[in-house]
Amino acid sequence: MSVPLSQMWTVATYVLRQRLRGRTRYPLVLMLEPLFRCNLACAGCGKIQYPAHVLKRQLTVEQCLAAAEECGAPIVSIPGGEPLLYPEIGRLVKELVARKTYVYLCTNAILLEDKLAQGVLEPSKYLSLSVHMDGLGDEHDEAVCREGVFDTAVHAIHEALRRGFRVTTNTTLFDGVDPERVRTFCDAMMDLGVEGMMMSPGYSYSKAPDQEHFLRRQRAHALFRRILEHPNRRWKFNQSPLFLQFLMGKQDFECTPWGNPTYNLFGWQRPCYLLQEGYASTFQELMETTPWERYGRASGNDKCRDCMVHCGYEPTAVHHTFNSWRGFRSAATATLTGKL
Amino acid sequence: MGDDSLQGWAPEPRDADELAHVVDMAFDYRGDVTIVLRDGTERVGYLFNRSRERGQAQLLEPAAAGPVTVRYADIRTIRFTGKDPASGKSYAAWLERKKADKAQTER
Repeated sequence: MSVPLSQMWTVATYVLRQRLRGRTRYPLVLMLEPLFRCNLACAGCGKIQYPAHVLKRQLTVEQCLAAAEECGAPIVSIPGGEPLLYPEIGRLVKELVARKTYVYLCTNAILLEDKLAQGVLEPSKYLSLSVHMDGLGDEHDEAVCREGVFDTAVHAIHEALRRGFRVTTNTTLFDGVDPERVRTFCDAMMDLGVEGMMMSPGYSYSKAPDQEHFLRRQRAHALFRRILEHPNRRWKFNQSPLFLQFLMGKQDFECTPWGNPTYNLFGWQRPCYLLQEGYASTFQELMETTPWERYGRASGNDKCRDCMVHCGYEPTAVHHTFNSWRGFRSAATATLTGKL
Repeated sequence: MGDDSLQGWAPEPRDADELAHVVDMAFDYRGDVTIVLRDGTERVGYLFNRSRERGQAQLLEPAAAGPVTVRYADIRTIRFTGKDPASGKSYAAWLERKKADKAQTER
């Protein structure tokens, strides 16, 4: 595993502080979407389909900082849209870093080399450039529906690493992916020199009957087992080992929908990053008035049944790590040995 | 929602329950809508939030700086007038397209 010690320490002490305060529901990562505009239209992405006047809008830096302050999570992830299209991305990141918040800037990297050359971003232990990579060249370019994006991203990663930035990759895997190609992809990312990789299955809402849902989940477990069962010693992941074990079917977790709350143009999104069932005007309102019992697998909610996405289950994995000796031991063993 | 777009739909809700259902549909819709108020005025924009409990919907109008709140009680109907940018772009549609592309390549 590759999460830096200082970041692990920050998260661990934050979680323990929440426990000491008796808070059962607390955020871990703020998903901050300053805009919905994107310079790609990836297949399967449901984030950017809005009328033009909505796509032209963006949050102010002050609104973003107020949301981070209100939420209080130790990590802020900036997806979008494409955050490098946000004209004030440099100031936003600088302000968050100044507050000692760990920032994951999730980018497709098309504009990254230019922004680095312009000095928009500065390297920091608090900033990780999280580059979207859905596989090797063919797979990635197909997923983002544009030729050459993989090569552009690889160039940008080289340049970011040369300039001393922390660089991670984030990968969404969909049904039908070839596990051997994914393993080759992991080797390639390590060859590039990234700090670590993040992986998650894609989210798909389906009204298919239960049996099909079950098979889907089993298929996902089988896929991740084939990818991760015998990980190359060089592979590093920038995520909880228990979440990876969950993907492999070795851990049985329930979703923590409040773990990665989302703030965007419309307010605080209910209940999670993936489902849009309404908006609260404050973080407190989100936490206190969302009917959380209606979400997650155990709720029987059709929209949650197949979901294994990191924004719901990674917080569970982190909570599990610090909530029981068994969880802590499993995470520590996987971290130290590299075995999942 | 599937790929059967509601673009162009102009329902005539008969009572408060039907109206609340139409508001829910407008909330799920990814294009602009036209809210026709009981006094005959119309408001066009993106309906991004609603609460049945509070009986309120929130709308982002193209030229407005912030959202406006409209009470359910003031709404006569909602017309789905804006282009639906999500039409044909669901995950299911993408899988179908991929399957079709693959079949064509293998031929």
